[in-house]
Parts: sequence; structure tokens; C-alpha cells
Amino acid sequence: MRRLRPLALAAAILALALAACGDDDDGGAGGGAADAESVSQAKATGDVTWCIGKDTTGAFGTVVENFNKANPEANVELLQLPESADEQRRLQIQRLRAESPECDVLGMDVIWTAEYAAQGWLLDVTEAVEKRKDEFIPSTLNTALYEDKYWAVPFNTNAGFIYYRTDQEAQPPENWQAMYEEAQKGNGLIYQGARYEGLTVNFLELLYSAGGNVINEDGTEATADSQETRDVLTFMNQGIEDGAVPKAVTTYMEEESRRAFEAGDATFMRNWPYAYALAKESNIADDFAVTTFPSYQGNQGAGVLGGYDLAISAYSENPEGSLAFINFATSPEQQVLMVTKASLPPVTTSVYSDPQVEKTLPFAAELLDAVEQAKPRPVSPVYPQISEAIYTNVFAALQGDMTPDEAASTMNEEIQKALETF
Amino acid sequence: MLSPAIVVIALVAAYPIGYAIWLSLNEYSVRVPGLSRFAGFDNYTEALGSPEFWNAVVTTFIFTGISVALELALGLAMALAMHEAFRGRGLLRTVVLVPWAVLTVVSAITWRTIFEPNLGLAPQVLSTLGLPGADIVWLGESGYALAVMVLADVWKTAPFMALLLLAGLQVIPNDLYDAAKVDGATTWQRFLRVTLPLLTPAILVALIFRTLDALRIFDLPYVLTRGANDTTTLSLIAHQELTSNRLIGYGSALSVLTFVIVMAVSLLYIRTVGGNIRALAEEK
Repeated sequence: MRRLRPLALAAAILALALAACGDDDDGGAGGGAADAESVSQAKATGDVTWCIGKDTTGAFGTVVENFNKANPEANVELLQLPESADEQRRLQIQRLRAESPECDVLGMDVIWTAEYAAQGWLLDVTEAVEKRKDEFIPSTLNTALYEDKYWAVPFNTNAGFIYYRTDQEAQPPENWQAMYEEAQKGNGLIYQGARYEGLTVNFLELLYSAGGNVINEDGTEATADSQETRDVLTFMNQGIEDGAVPKAVTTYMEEESRRAFEAGDATFMRNWPYAYALAKESNIADDFAVTTFPSYQGNQGAGVLGGYDLAISAYSENPEGSLAFINFATSPEQQVLMVTKASLPPVTTSVYSDPQVEKTLPFAAELLDAVEQAKPRPVSPVYPQISEAIYTNVFAALQGDMTPDEAASTMNEEIQKALETF
Repeated sequence: MLSPAIVVIALVAAYPIGYAIWLSLNEYSVRVPGLSRFAGFDNYTEALGSPEFWNAVVTTFIFTGISVALELALGLAMALAMHEAFRGRGLLRTVVLVPWAVLTVVSAITWRTIFEPNLGLAPQVLSTLGLPGADIVWLGESGYALAVMVLADVWKTAPFMALLLLAGLQVIPNDLYDAAKVDGATTWQRFLRVTLPLLTPAILVALIFRTLDALRIFDLPYVLTRGANDTTTLSLIAHQELTSNRLIGYGSALSVLTFVIVMAVSLLYIRTVGGNIRALAEEK
């Protein structure tokens, strides 16, 4: 009997624990995006907490200060999340799942919009965005759109560029094919080819330029098993086989690419605008230039949008104050500050012709072009799975573990499976 | 008197395990807020039927087998060296522990930089010395990537192994060595017949610690390769499904399977250790 007591006790506790967690996820059964609450009236009062990635340059802090100075009845506080986007998402989701009112304004990577909106974690801000629609670059607004409603306001944007060595190439490449040929003769082209989100972006840039896509318009069907996908995969794989692209690219993320380019190891590099200012301080400062993506088989080159949007948490206790702050942070004056202080590409068109901006970003005109041409990544609540299906199979094709045909059909299967997730 | 201890164990161990098991029997919608359904063993059937899971099992066991074996050999050598009396022994014992004190993520980032193609320390040194391997993209090839992972793990944890074994060495009475010497045993014979048998319990304890740790390896492949080139371990796929894809039911099933595997291995060890120690006691 005495031996049995502890066992029985343990069993009882386990049973209790199991029973307790049973009714965990049944609460809060709202209808998601369909009948979410909205906020349209901005009122600069009360406390607002802004949860966004680490303020490495102090720019976010300055915006908060400016807002608080201009609006004595309101008080915004900055809550810094880690530098890595994956970690930011994890921490935001942790709070949202717990229905915590801690974060009022969320700094959201543009690829999270659909997921957050579908889960009913965001307030509908369609009315507020419609009022200011003309200020924004149209493509950036698409990143805040899910099921015909706006769930966020664009805050900063991003688009890829081709960096090239002016001491090796007299002029920018005309098309992708020509660039690969030049790269093969010279020191090669480098991009982000490691097995992660960056490879999805690098692949989609080519696929969009080729006129393909991985899912259909309304996000119900995978369309990755196409001639365009097979062409692009063959093109990318051939690049490595021919030596136009060094094998090392399959381990490169943004920073490795930048370091290799700055060390003079490449003639061409695909990277984000952030690399510009840094490369200007390197040994090759005077020997490189940037250009928008070249055309691909006669089609105009297209980029893929990056950047952050600002959304209001469905659990915020001060939606009106939050909206007032978002309007302030995305206003032209503060957007100029984002460029000069943090080199974050702005989302409002007018800012690109500001003399201060042109001074910080000498390629502002090209950047505006690139952003206007760029398309969002697939908009879907299961985006993480779609992206995983893309980068694992593109990676397998780059490594030669799969033929382009196999990679295209496996990618399609996995995307279809992702779209059918419960 | 047992009850408080059991309550504590229940709270810190049984509750999370029970919760994970419960989660793994359900499916949680990624589309509709708050929607979930009971799935029975569907998540397990899916996991056990996916090549991804079995590849991860194989990778995890290969990594564990090789790295723990190397750590044991190296750790034993280090322990024997540190056991000898010489000047600066205390200092050496401290210095040797430094890699163990470095956070795995930090050391993983360092190793990633060391093996960066062309620019990293490893390719530079290899090419300066004219050794083969300078042109290899270490983290970009199957086999090589796993080798870097093993190297990083051995570098970090061999000292820990050494410390555990050193503690074992210090309880072996010197009389035994003296007696062996009188009987004319060579150094090698003394090692085989005296040191090794008496060190066996310490070795087994050290092996348990390291094996269980290695089976759960997450930070090294996450930082070094993100699981590319056959370095995806069990913990890595569970993390990917749970936090990135937010498939809470399926991800939990993967975690529970990992738990079961680790548990089975540790039970196996405990039986061996128990049997071994009993056998030793009987011999005496």
C-alpha cells in the first residue's frame, strides 16, 4: 500500500494536468478575418506600446520621442524585440495567443500579415488606409492586404538590387542570361543561396521575372509545377555547374554575400540596399555601382518586397491612440528620419525626392523604381510552410540532389499540401 | 516524506510532458482562430510515415555516435594527462574548461565564421599549409557539414567529459598502482587492468550525460546550416514545425517521439550501468 501511494498521487496529478489543458484552445473562437473588429478613428491619447525589432540605430526611439512631444496627452513606449525576425514573430505570437494587451502596435514583417489577420489577431484598418492611400507606393500597400481588407499600414519597404564592379564591367547587365555569362568570364555572381527564407526571395525574383508564380490569385491552388519554374531552376543550377555562381553561395545569407563582395571575390552580387552604405566604407568603395534587376528572357525584371508594416493588435486597450501613432510614424516627415537615421527605405512616394533622402541614398530613384516593380511574396496564412517548400526544393536543385523537374513537382506537391492544412 | 518530492517532479516534469502528449493528439487550425479537433494518433502516423522524420533519426544517431565516441577518447586522454602531477596543473584544469563555458550558440556562430568559404580561418589555414580541403565548401556539402558539426560539439564538450572522468580517476587508490608495479605490470597493463575497470562507472555516467545531450542537439545545426546537407536533427524538425509552421499538434508529436527515443536510450544505459556496478561490487 505504501509503495502505491506516490504512484497514485503522480497519476492523479497527471490526470489533473491533462484535464486542465483540455480547455485551453477552445476559448476566443472569433470568426477570424471575416468579422474582425475595425478601427478608423485616430485619437492621440492614452498609453500605447510599440513592439518591434531591436532599435539598432535609435531611429524608432526618435520617432517615439517626436510623437510624445507633439502629443502631450499620449504616451508611446517602445518595446524592443530581438534582432532576428523569427524571434520577433515567436515573441509576438506568444503574446497574441495569450490574448495579452501588452503590445498595441506590432511591427510586422510583410510576410506575416495573412497569418496574423487569419488568426483574428489584428484590427481592420481599411478605412484609415483608404483615406491616405495616395501617399503610399501602391506595391507596398499590397503587403498589408488580406481578403480585400487592410490589416496594417506600410512602415518601411525593401527590394533587392544588383551590385556590380564598375572596374570589371563597363555597364550594368542587360538581362539575367548576359549577367551569368559575364559572371562566368569574371569573378562570378553571388546571392543568398543557403537553405532559408532568403533563398525563397532569390528564387521568386527570378520566377516573377519569368512570369511564373507558386500559387494562384486567390491562394487556393499551387501553380509551381510550371515551365517557368523548371526554366528558372535549370538556369540557377546551370549557373553553379558552369561556375558563373560559386558553390559557396549555397551557404551564403546576406552577410556572407556582402563580406565576399567587399573582399573582391565577386563581380556581381544580389543584395538588399543596406549593403550599399557598408560597401561604401570597404576597400571597393569606388569600384561598384547598383542597378535594378535586369530583364529575364525579354520580360522586365521583378523584385520581391521586404520591409515592415505596422498593425494594431486585436487585444489592444487603446486602438485609437495606436492608430494615431501609426499615422504619425508613417507620415512623410518621420519617413525621412527613417532614411537618414536608419537607411530604411520609405513607403511614401514623396519622400524619395526629398534632398536629405537623396543624400543618404544616392540611388533613391532606382530604389523607388525597384519597389514599384516589386511584388509581395505569396499571401497566405500558411506562408511559412510555402516558403519552406520553396527553399528546400530550390536548394536541392542547386545542390544537384534533384533535377529541376523533380524539384518543381515536389515543390508543387508540398505547397498544395500546405494550402490544404487544417 | 516522499510526497513533496513527487509533487515537485509532477509539476516540473509530468505536467509539461502530459501537456505535450495532449497537444500531440489534437490538430490546431492555422486558418481559423481557436479551432481545434481531436486527431487521435494521426499526427504520429504522419510523422512515422514521413522520410523527413526517419532522415532526422538517422542523422541524430550518426551525430551522437561519432561525437560521443570522440569525446570519450579525447576526454579520457585529457583526464589522464590532468591526473598526472606537474607544475601548473590547476591552471590547466581551469583553462581546459573554457570551451565548455562558452554558450553553444556563440561557439556555433564562431565555427560558422571559421568555415566561411574563402574568407574563413579554416580554408585560409588549409590553403596556406597546402593541405587538401581548402577548396571545399565545408558547410555546403553532405558529410562535410556533419563533420563540422561533430568538430564543434567535440571541441565544446570533450572538456566536460574530461572533468567527469578526472573525478573518477581521483577515487582510484594509489595502492593498486603500487601493487601492480610490484607485480611488474607495464604502464599499458596498469591502464587496462586497473584504471579502465575501476573507471567504468564514471565512464558510463559521463556517457549517459553526453548521449542524452547529443540526441537533443538543436543549436549547432540551427546556426551552422539550418539543417541543410543532411544535418537536420530531431529537435530541429520539431522546432521548425512548432514555431515556424505553427503546426502545434504535429510538432508536439515530433517532440514526444524525440522524448520517447531519448527515454529509451537512457533506460538502456541505466540498465547497463546498474548491471555493471553490481557486477563490480560482486567481484570485490
